Amino acid sequence: MWRGGEDLMVAAKVKGDHRIFNCVLAGTAGQGVITIKRLLEFAAQEAGYEECFGSEMHGLAQREGAISSHVRLQRIISPNPRENIQAPTICYGDADLVLGFEPVEVLRSGVFLAAKTKFVINDRTIQPILVNAGKEEYPSLEKIEEIVRGYTKDYIFLPATQLAIEQLGDAQKMNLIILGVAFGAGWIPHISIENCEKVICRELRDSDLNLRALNIGIEFGTRTISRNK
Amino acid sequence: MGKDKRFYNSTGKFLMTGNEALVRGCLESKINFIAAYPGTPTTDISETFSDLLAADPNLGEFITQHWAINEAVSISQAAGAAWTGARALAPMKHVGVNVASDALSVITLNGPNPGSLVLVVGSDPGSLGSHQEQNERFYGWMFNIPIIEPQTPQDCHDWIKIAFDVSQKHDIPIYFRTSTRSAHSRGFVNVNEIHLEKGNQVFVRDIPKYCSLPPHAINNHIRLYQRLEAVQQQIKTLHINSILPGDNKTGIITSGIPYGYTLEALNALNLNDVPVLKLGMIHPLDNGQIRDFAKDLDRVIIVEELEPFLEVKIGEILHKERVRAEVIGSQYFPKYGEFSIGLVASSLAKIFNVSTAGIAGQVTRAQEHFNQYAPIIPKRFPTFCAGCPERATLYAIRKATNELANTVVAGDIGCYVMSFFPPMETSDFIICMSGGLSAAIGIATQTKQNIIALIGDSTFLHTGMAPLADAVSNNSNITLIVFENNWVAMTGGQPVLGLTEGKLSIETITQAIGVKWVRVADPYKVDATVDLIRKARTEPGVKVIIIKRECMLQRSRARAGQIRRLEAGGKEVRKESYTIEACRMCGECFEKLACVAIRRTKDENNDTVMQIDEDRCNLCSVCYQLCPNNAVKKNIHNVCGEEVKI
Repeated sequence: MWRGGEDLMVAAKVKGDHRIFNCVLAGTAGQGVITIKRLLEFAAQEAGYEECFGSEMHGLAQREGAISSHVRLQRIISPNPRENIQAPTICYGDADLVLGFEPVEVLRSGVFLAAKTKFVINDRTIQPILVNAGKEEYPSLEKIEEIVRGYTKDYIFLPATQLAIEQLGDAQKMNLIILGVAFGAGWIPHISIENCEKVICRELRDSDLNLRALNIGIEFGTRTISRNK
Repeated sequence: MGKDKRFYNSTGKFLMTGNEALVRGCLESKINFIAAYPGTPTTDISETFSDLLAADPNLGEFITQHWAINEAVSISQAAGAAWTGARALAPMKHVGVNVASDALSVITLNGPNPGSLVLVVGSDPGSLGSHQEQNERFYGWMFNIPIIEPQTPQDCHDWIKIAFDVSQKHDIPIYFRTSTRSAHSRGFVNVNEIHLEKGNQVFVRDIPKYCSLPPHAINNHIRLYQRLEAVQQQIKTLHINSILPGDNKTGIITSGIPYGYTLEALNALNLNDVPVLKLGMIHPLDNGQIRDFAKDLDRVIIVEELEPFLEVKIGEILHKERVRAEVIGSQYFPKYGEFSIGLVASSLAKIFNVSTAGIAGQVTRAQEHFNQYAPIIPKRFPTFCAGCPERATLYAIRKATNELANTVVAGDIGCYVMSFFPPMETSDFIICMSGGLSAAIGIATQTKQNIIALIGDSTFLHTGMAPLADAVSNNSNITLIVFENNWVAMTGGQPVLGLTEGKLSIETITQAIGVKWVRVADPYKVDATVDLIRKARTEPGVKVIIIKRECMLQRSRARAGQIRRLEAGGKEVRKESYTIEACRMCGECFEKLACVAIRRTKDENNDTVMQIDEDRCNLCSVCYQLCPNNAVKKNIHNVCGEEVKI
């Protein structure tokens, strides 16, 4: 169980529209983590966010490795530079939202998590080679969920890859479903679904399929949140 | 390919990575020439230029982009272009400067005028995309090159122009130091007008300037001190150093990405009265500015990644200027690895003796909470893609040598660098580009063991031909395995200069160097490859086996496109798939080959079995060939359909 007390973090210290929104996107190479990161940033620009800074990982991480990208958004830039986003990565324990494209990768980003963090997590595992080789264990989904529950009740586990295969015939579209769930749950502040749809049409090929994926996610997120209320 | 408006529109605010912003800045500062060997985190600078030139052939009138064979060649090419009056850019990773350094030392003496020369160096604290994390800033001291270090994409955009202008004005190369973090962070960039212009396009003879040999070498050295001093005098007019004032008696001097960590850490710690000096130019330093910043302070904290560089110089300046402020830094911050807001906050909390009730405590608690469950997270090493010809070759090497018995395997730089990771653990050592073959020559002088050296096609052309000539001359008993996969794969698939377009041939080169025993192998034919590696062992001297198979990542993309086009045209495509039935869990495919498409799972009886993920399998058929129990089955669908080769 998280014993951090209330969150006194960087973002929380800056009030109102100068507040910084921190998102971690965790997955493995080839899952489209950077694509979704960039979509979120484009959507933020569309929504009028004044500041955006975030980190991507290229190179070595492509080879089946772990990928962790950060997106940081600030609606209105403060006249005091000390209150603005200055770094492309976030502070430990300062994530507002985690988009987990692979379950265990959410735990790998664990140092950024806290009680305020909200989670959207795909339940489809991608086993590292040492697990396939029988040299290491992959933790059970129940165990992963228990760890997440130790931080917060605000999490959504979903079979995003399965939904993508069944409803769209394309496993890769799980990434837009995950993003959609976060929108549907209302966990992405000040960016409208229209903002997001607009950048999907502008930035991605095959926008029909991608919009359908986003909307499957939105519906799932909305439904889950209203059921939990 | 369509035009990317971020590189064409005259004004606007765009989302750009540091590298993209840097390219945009170059387009606004009359750039003429870019030469680079791929290297993370600078590769995408050249790729962006390459894409822009492909999308708009008119740009080619002003700009030429070269993939160079190595960094010594790229920096010299850039210098040559500058000497005809061009504005030249040479991007390279931190270790690339080691390769370029011989040329760079002389180019700096000569100076780039009448043109200008900017060397973009991607440092890599934390070794996020490199084999090591050397602190290459010291080249600035060693060769007297001014260093500019940006923090944000906007800095990259704005300061690259300053770099070109300073280089032009003072006849000195500029070292533009990014990092993996700053190059690959994305943020808003306000752009200005594009400015394209040709250089003088003529070389004018000037022996004292361009021939840095005695006596000109000494004169150019003297002239270099004068040029560096002139840059130093100009720093304050560049407006790339900035101060955030504050009343605290402890101040901070920092630069680049660590400046961002520092500012956010201070805010989180409620230490917003600490004055902060952000250095845009980290060598040479503006002595007057450092003195004035520190003169009323008790302490100056230097926040910088890797070995103390600013700390040493600032200590020296304050000592000479008789400023009494104590300089601290490296005793509180690690001299290795990458920093973060959390790390800087923890260290500053100690220095300022801030209680752990606030953020310092929060940072610690986040870490401690994570540490409780961290042990259950399985490691996820980078590894070879499904169907990679290099994985198949590593399997063949281990099979041919009876699990590496009495065998030494010299690794090298490229995707096959990953061969030291478990479960393959095939390479015994890795040094640098072509260091493996060179070390193998030394090993061969001392032992009769079976010595196998690995090298990729691009690495071979980069610096591998010289050690091969050495090995042939010394009649070293070595088997050199060259992965000819046609792409610089590790950095994301750039063309191998000359090879991808068929102008060079590894086979011809190795034969011309004098290797008598050169063979070509297809790694997807497992038994034949194993036999060839065994056969090489029995031959004297240098043997070369060329592993000829295109990078599977590239090939599978091209193949998917071919299939899409055929199917769109109404044609049937012959499709293969592989499945595992009645697996005996012997480990040959999942432990020795360790293909990522082969997954451990449970069957309906809850027994552990292996299964091939159809969406990840690239159909190389290697597991099908090597399974000792014939448990891997090959299935063919649309037998009469068109065949698309793997």
